[in-house]
Amino acid sequence: MNSTLYMNQDTGVQQKDAIVIENMSKRFDRFLLDKISFRVPSGSIMGFVGENGAGKTTTIKAILNLLYPDEGSIRIWGHPSDSLSKDLRAQIGVVFEGSNLHDNLTTDNINKIMGNIYPNWDQNEFYNYLNRFKLPKKKKIKDFSRGMKMKLSISIALSHAAKLLVLDEATSGLDPMVREEILDIFMDFIQDEGHTILFSTHIISDIEKIADYVTFIHEGKIVFCENKDELIYRHGIIRCRRDDIAKIDKSFIIGIRENSFGTELMIKDVDAFKRRYKEFVPERATIEEIMLFISRGRKD
Amino acid sequence: MKGLITKDFINISKSFWVIGVLVIFYGAISFVSDSPSSFSGLFTLIIAMYMLSTYSLDEMAKWDIYALTMPLTRDKLVQGKYLMMLILSFMGFLLNMVVLLTLNILTKSESLFDGIEIAVVGAVLVIVFYSIVIPFITNLGIVKARLYFIIIYMVPFMAGSFISKRIKASNTNPPDGLITFIEVVIKNAYIIVPLIMIAALGISYFISIRIYRKKEF
Repeated sequence: MNSTLYMNQDTGVQQKDAIVIENMSKRFDRFLLDKISFRVPSGSIMGFVGENGAGKTTTIKAILNLLYPDEGSIRIWGHPSDSLSKDLRAQIGVVFEGSNLHDNLTTDNINKIMGNIYPNWDQNEFYNYLNRFKLPKKKKIKDFSRGMKMKLSISIALSHAAKLLVLDEATSGLDPMVREEILDIFMDFIQDEGHTILFSTHIISDIEKIADYVTFIHEGKIVFCENKDELIYRHGIIRCRRDDIAKIDKSFIIGIRENSFGTELMIKDVDAFKRRYKEFVPERATIEEIMLFISRGRKD
Repeated sequence: MKGLITKDFINISKSFWVIGVLVIFYGAISFVSDSPSSFSGLFTLIIAMYMLSTYSLDEMAKWDIYALTMPLTRDKLVQGKYLMMLILSFMGFLLNMVVLLTLNILTKSESLFDGIEIAVVGAVLVIVFYSIVIPFITNLGIVKARLYFIIIYMVPFMAGSFISKRIKASNTNPPDGLITFIEVVIKNAYIIVPLIMIAALGISYFISIRIYRKKEF
């Protein structure tokens, strides 16, 4: 993955990635996050995808220092994630799936609380977002819908001059209209080159809409971490008869699916494949299909 | 830290009206019975109970996991709770004093000093109580820790009651050394009790910090 350089504010050294995870492992009773490594380039949106229980939330918790990896390292803007300064932590906005705010609070209360927690809290920005999202100021959070709670969490994350947004399933369970509205906000946020988003979700269509890069985690292991456009460009689906599989070099095949209509093969290195096999015409693959072929398709 | 205290105060302030009702209720009883010191210490205990509410509300909201993504360290979250506990204990003590003084003036009673003594003991008990329970809450969360509270406070009570009954049944007098020791403790209570409270608070804080630093979410 190619990354651009950025200036580390503390050291003055140019760095290329907002987040770098190297060989990070975490073992639980029934789950292993297995030596995962990936980078989130500064100024980009990284879609972090995988099925439920694949290890997305565990990885995000490790990045946020909410749990301690058994081995490996995590660096944010070049600094170890477990020893970030207060100023750097204040530049990270986090949105979890639940709102994590007390039910009996109002948005005015939250403004007061966050104003005393974040040194760079921008009250005007917060109320601007509340207005934009049409969130009431006096209503208690317990009376908010799920979509409203999520919008509130996003408003908080965007009201303290955050440069890195970490979103864990922020759009899950929301209706398409609200999701679209939230994705637009993320697109606005990323217009600033210094801003970065790590966006974990299992809704692949959201990733296809906004992500620059895609990291796919499956059963605790990183399967790929690639530029989204290159990923789509390099993969293709061919539909053929079962007998045709034997004619194709196995190194091209990522996964095979069979149904009553025939056989589907997910092919990688589409350009090389096309040059070698003129008789097959690969069709464009979606990220969802690539993931499904990798995780559920067989190899031969 | 200020944000954490603000958060706790905003959360519990939604049910502060209960205190108002209790002040009027118990104040009226004290006034009618002409005994202003009857309920000294009570308000310290009532206000201190709000501390458990702050833990419950945080746990229901899963606040800690969110707070730790903010520019707050793990130590600050623990410190915030201890500070809140001390503020609430002091607030309870102050409320006691105000109620006591008002009732003493209204009833023209002269039991102010007794009332103050009971209120101080109440505040000390609250601080020692929380010094014991906060490490349990920090480790287990408020829901699981509640079960331990029962054990922590019921076992010594039951044991004391059992031993007391046995001593009475055997009709023996306590050893002279024990009686002398208790007399010395009572005589120097003004020094010993604060020292015990400070020691309990310090040890409790140290344990809670250690637990919370290692905690995973």
